[in-house]
Parts: sequence; structure tokens; C-alpha cells
Amino acid sequence: MGESEKRSEKLLSIQDLKMSYGKKEVLKSVNLDVYKGEIIGYIGPNGAGKSTTVKIMLGLLDGYEGKVEIFGRDISDGDVRYKKRIGYVPESADVYDNLTAGEYLIFMGELYGMKRETAGEKAVSLLKEFSMENSFHSRLSSFSKGMKQKVLIISSLLHDPDLLFLDEPLSGLDANSVMIIKEMLATLAAKGKTIFYISHIMDVVERISSRIILLSDGRVVADGSFAELQEQSKEGSLEGIFNQLTGFNDHTHIAERIVSIVSGGPHHE
Amino acid sequence: MSDFRSLKFLDRFRGIFIKIGIDYDVMRKILEFKLTMDQRRVPTILSDSKKRDEGNQFIKSLGLYALYGLMLIPLIVFGKQYMFQMSIVFGITMFILMTSMVSDFSSVLLDVRDKNILNTKPVGKKTIHAAKLLHIIIYMFMLTGAFVAVPVGVGLFTQGMYFTLLFLANLLLISLFIVVLTAICYLAILRFFDGETLKDAINYIQIALSVGILVGYQLLARSFTFIDFQFSYAVEWWHALIPPFWFGSTFELVLNGNYTANVAGMSLLALAVPVMAIMIYYRLIPMFEQSLQKLQSEAGKSRKSTGLDGLWARLLCRKREERVFFRFSSLMMKREREFKFKVYPSLGFSIIFPFIFLLNEMWVRSFEEVGQGGMYYYIYFTNLMIPTVVHMVTFSGKYKGSWIYRAAPIKDLGMVYSAAYKAFLARLYLPVFVFVSILFIWIFSSRIIPDLLAVLLSGIAMVLITHKLLNAGHLPFSKPIDYIQEGKTAIITLLLLLSGFFVLVHFLVRTMEYGLYIYLALLIIAIPIAWRVMFSGKKQAIREAGTSWNAPVKN
Repeated sequence: MGESEKRSEKLLSIQDLKMSYGKKEVLKSVNLDVYKGEIIGYIGPNGAGKSTTVKIMLGLLDGYEGKVEIFGRDISDGDVRYKKRIGYVPESADVYDNLTAGEYLIFMGELYGMKRETAGEKAVSLLKEFSMENSFHSRLSSFSKGMKQKVLIISSLLHDPDLLFLDEPLSGLDANSVMIIKEMLATLAAKGKTIFYISHIMDVVERISSRIILLSDGRVVADGSFAELQEQSKEGSLEGIFNQLTGFNDHTHIAERIVSIVSGGPHHE
Repeated sequence: MSDFRSLKFLDRFRGIFIKIGIDYDVMRKILEFKLTMDQRRVPTILSDSKKRDEGNQFIKSLGLYALYGLMLIPLIVFGKQYMFQMSIVFGITMFILMTSMVSDFSSVLLDVRDKNILNTKPVGKKTIHAAKLLHIIIYMFMLTGAFVAVPVGVGLFTQGMYFTLLFLANLLLISLFIVVLTAICYLAILRFFDGETLKDAINYIQIALSVGILVGYQLLARSFTFIDFQFSYAVEWWHALIPPFWFGSTFELVLNGNYTANVAGMSLLALAVPVMAIMIYYRLIPMFEQSLQKLQSEAGKSRKSTGLDGLWARLLCRKREERVFFRFSSLMMKREREFKFKVYPSLGFSIIFPFIFLLNEMWVRSFEEVGQGGMYYYIYFTNLMIPTVVHMVTFSGKYKGSWIYRAAPIKDLGMVYSAAYKAFLARLYLPVFVFVSILFIWIFSSRIIPDLLAVLLSGIAMVLITHKLLNAGHLPFSKPIDYIQEGKTAIITLLLLLSGFFVLVHFLVRTMEYGLYIYLALLIIAIPIAWRVMFSGKKQAIREAGTSWNAPVKN
């Protein structure tokens, strides 16, 4: 991925983004620009502020400081039209699951301005590709986690968005589906779609991202292609880079201590 | 955390629990956690957390029950016609307990989430069942206590010690009986139905139960005939089918020394049936749990949405976005079990109440006389459900799904409300109203059609007022439903009084010539304007806190 220098169009720009929940400062100062066709792997330790960043960009959270521009417009101007070109898979599979898969997908499609029939047809075809065509008329509440996840992924794609925010999109999916999604993301990016991908699974991020952004303690601490990060840190794997940049090298000791706490101490039986 | 008075009281019976094979300490732990969770379950805790005080909303609602309880006092001080007085007292008590049981505690009784958490731990099933049952019983006792506290005190002064003791013993039996009766009813349904059908069936049972009690109460009142303040009570065999009589007859037996076979027999039932019910229920619990599984599992059967929603959507909503939300809202109202749990009993009452009062009229006058009279105002009772149900629209068991409101490019959040209320009016209110109206027109002839129109319009106005006072800022289906009521009872009571105000206005305009038509014209002009003003987009400040995306520190 050496020649990813065709940075044509800037889709997304965040300048000095700050956010706090009460007294807790989650984002201290985030700056980043995203260009068309990139697959951004957005990584960082638990609580670093990854999902918060995405929620702000989607307008789910108010009360931030700084400037967020998507498709060249400041999103705080109250115009929600930019969301039409965005697809979102939330981290938690929260859905109105008393609806059937079909009803939910059609509803979502319609919210993004699609015609009822078009949304329905597209939903059926997409469900079929995930071999779930028989589930169209079943309630989401009867679905397994993986099936729900597939429905969420489909609902994020239904309206053919230009920018995708995926928050742990692979959770609960079986190996075959994971392969489909990975391939699909690459194809979408090649067609000029931009993907913003949050995950904790380092090997996946390493493999699919054209650019990796590491967030730690509310700030961007690394930004570049995998090769670039490798060079900077002299670490072989993304996992290693992650550990190094987040200042973590203690895992052996912690693991040992955990085991000794578990097996030691006063016995209760 | 462990200093719940109810638990300390329970500690005294520790020995009994252990004897019947329950791990008391574990059960106490479970209850402790449940009660603690209830205390923290302030549904809108995040919405204005600074103002809102922590605490159990249920306990706060007890005040209202205490107020309701005052209506028992005249019956208690009335005299020594115990069979009459006390049967009515118990009839009312059972009615109140049963309705609150059905509407507020069904979700506890039918909770399947416990299974994943508790059944995977080394805790005996018996213990879990006992904890569940006691959890409900604790609340049931509190509710009963609040309801009868003042009447019992009054009874102590006017009727003496024995009366009070008997009263308390009966109340104890009744609360147990109600809890178990509800559970057994549910069990019966659970046995015969499956998956989704079963969930729906429960809704209808709720209505049937509530309505049945109401009708039973009517029968009870009828079985006493007043003749010059001397009322004779003739024991009929079918009185044994009406539970309040059982409990009432214990007073006749003990305090009035009436040892006739009928009275003695019914008194025996008062003791035997609740005790037996508990024993049977306890035996049936495994079966109950098994059937509860059905609530979780679901046949993947296909369900087609009816064309009716689409038709209404096209009729009532002009904007495309609004139509989308209309269809969504009516699906949610039709499908969501928790929503229906809360709402369907109200709908049942809306149908029944006007007729109950009308029936009272017919008891003293002929059908024709009533038909020519002005008693059609009773149809306003149908509108009484509006505040509660409209308030319920903001809640959902799946409230976390509401992230879509923000993630989707919705220009005008006002549309979302507007669509939800239109769906409520078209899919819930109108069928009920039309049904009652048809019967009313049959009774009162078509001359009341303009009046009915005024009732319908005032219903729509009530929706708007309720929105303004209760819902503004809370998007539909975006707050967690809980079986414990929210502290909004004061406003709801106010709204109920407001519907009384509409009756008054209606009555007044009817005394003027053409008054009714002027009133109708005013409503027809004012309502669409008010509707548009209230739901016109930009002003919709959304207090959506309490929904998933705003839950703090969830990264």
C-alpha cells in the first residue's frame, strides 16, 4: 500500500476536538483528516475515546469543543443532510428488536430517504448474500448475536453511503462472514468509499487498513500506514506497536499476578 | 445496602424457609440485590439527574394508593352489616391489587432474564423461585399496607380490636391470593399457547382480568338490595363464586355469630383457597419456568404487515418522513410486549367504564328512559386513558434502539412525535372510541353524533396537552420501560381532572343555542393549528439523555 498518496478529496476533518463527560475528559485534543477511499483503522485502549469520536461525528453527542467537518461542512450547523451519506454500525447491537428483519431494514432505508420498495428489494437481496433470506419475516429478538450484527451491517449499507463508520463490526460473526466483510470493505474502498473502522482485533486492522490511527488518553499518538508505523516503532506487529505506544509492557506480570490471585487466597469451599 | 426493613422482617421466618429446602442466605442476597436495583431504577435518571432525587419511585407512588384507600372508610364505619360492608371493602381492595399486579408486576413475574444470570450459578432453583415470589410479595404487602393503613386505623377505633385483627388476617390472605392467582392464570395460558401467540394472549388476559374484576364488583353491589336502608342479604349458591364474599363472610361468622352453613362454608373458602392456591402454585413453578422458556424462544414464522397501516399513513401524514415514522410507531405499538402490558388494560377500561356507569342508570330506569336522557357524557370515560397511554409512548423495552433517531438524517424531529401520536390515535384510540360510540348511538340514537364528535376532538386535544406537559423533549420509544411507575402521577392526575374540564365545557356549550356547533367549529380550527405549532420542527429540544448513546463513559 505504498502508493496511497492519491489524497484527492478531504472528506472529514477534525480539529482540536475535546469532549468530557462531567469532569472526566475523554477527548483531550483530537486532530485528523480523512481522505476519500481510505480505510482508517481507528484503534486505542478501552476508554480512549474511539466510540466517542464516532458518536460526535454522527451527531449522537452534543457538547463537544473543537471543529468537526464532514463532506466539507461543519456538522454543528444543524443541517442533518450530511448523515444521508453516512452508514453506521454501532458498537452495541441495540435495535428495536420487536420488529422483523425486513421491517427494520425497510424502516432504516426509508429514514435515509429510500423508497419503500427499493429498500425492501435491496434488503432481501443483501440478506440472501448472508444466507439469511428466510429470516426476513422473523423478529430480530429471535436472532443470534451474529445474525443481528449482519442486519446492522446491512442496514448501514442499504442506502449506499459514501462514508462508513464501523464500530467493532465483526463481533459475533463467524469466520466465513468475517472473510466476506473484509473483502467487501476492500472492494468498497477501491470504489471510492471511505471507511472508518474501530476495532480491538489487531490482525484484522493490520490487514485491512490503509491507514491506522492510534488514540490513547484522548489524543492521537500515531497516524500512518502500517508500514510507516512499523518503521517508527521498530515493532513487527500492530499488537507490538500498540503496546509500545500506549506504554504497556507489563502483560506477563499482570497475567501472573491474576493467576496467583485466582488460585490463591482463602478457599471458599 | 442490607438494611431493608422488609428483609429484616423476613429474617424472623428464616427457620421456615430453611425447613422447606430454601437456602435462606442466598435468597436474602438475591432479594437484597433486587431491592437495591429497584431503588436505583429511576427510569429517567439521566434526563435531569441533578434535580431528580434517588429513591424507589414505587414507594413514592404509594401515597396515591393511600389516598385511594380513604374511600374504604365510610364502608367500615357504616355499621355492623359486615357481609355487605366488608365484601365491598374486599372487592375494592382486590380490584386495586389485581390491577396493579397485572399492570405493574407482570414483567417481574414473566422475567426471563434472571435465568441467564442466576441459573448459571450454584443456586438452587427452589431458592430462585422463592426469591422471585417474595420480591413480588414484598411490594404487594407495601401496596396493600398503603392502601388500607388509614381504614384499618379507623376500624380499630370504630369497630374494635377483633375486627381489626380479622381485617388484617383477611388482607394477608388476599394479597397472597392475588399474587398466586395472577401467576396461575398466566401459567394456564402459558401451557396452552406458544411463542408469540402466548405473548399476545397475555395482553388479552390482562384486559380480561381487569374487566372481569370490574364486572364482578358490579355483581357484588347488585346482590344487596336496599329496602329503606334495611338491606337484606340472601345467600345464593353462586355467591361462593365471588371471592370478596368469602372474606366478607368471615366477619359475619366471627363478629355477628352467624353460623349458617353458607356463611361458614364461604369463610372456610376464604382460608382454604389462598392456602391451597399457594401450595398448587409452588408445585407448578417448574412448569411455569418451563413455559416461560416459550417467551424467549420464537418460531421464525412469517408475519406480514397489514395494509391498514399503510392506508392510515397515507391518509393522516402528508410528509414522507412522517409516514415512515407512522408505520414504525404503529408496528411498535402492536408488537412491543412491554408496551402492551402497560397499555392494554387501560384500553380495556376505556371500553368498560362508560357502560358500567350506564348500567347503573339502567338499573333504576328503563332502557328508553336512559336512551332519551343525557347520560352519553359517560363516554368521556373513554378519554381517560389518553394521558397514561400517550405518556407510555415515550417508553420502550428496547429504548436503546433509539440511537437511530440521531444517526439518521432526520430533518424534523417534530415529525417523529406527530407520527407517533397519529399512530396512537388511529391504531389504539379510534378503534376503542368507534366501538363505544356505535353502542352509544344504538342506545341514545343518532342525535348524539355531534356530541360524540366533540368527545373525539377533545380526545385529540388531550393528546396535545399531555404531550406538552409530560412528553415534550422525550422522543417516542426512547426511555426504558420499567415495572415501577415513574413519579409522574401528579401530572397524570391533573390531566385526568382536565378531561373533567372538557365535560364541563361540553355541558355548558350545550345549554346555549348552537353552542355545540360553535364549540365543534372552534375545536376543528384550533386543533390542527395547535398540532402544527407544537410539532413544527426546529423548536424540538430533545432531552434524549437516558438513551444509549448518551450513557456516559461507554467507549
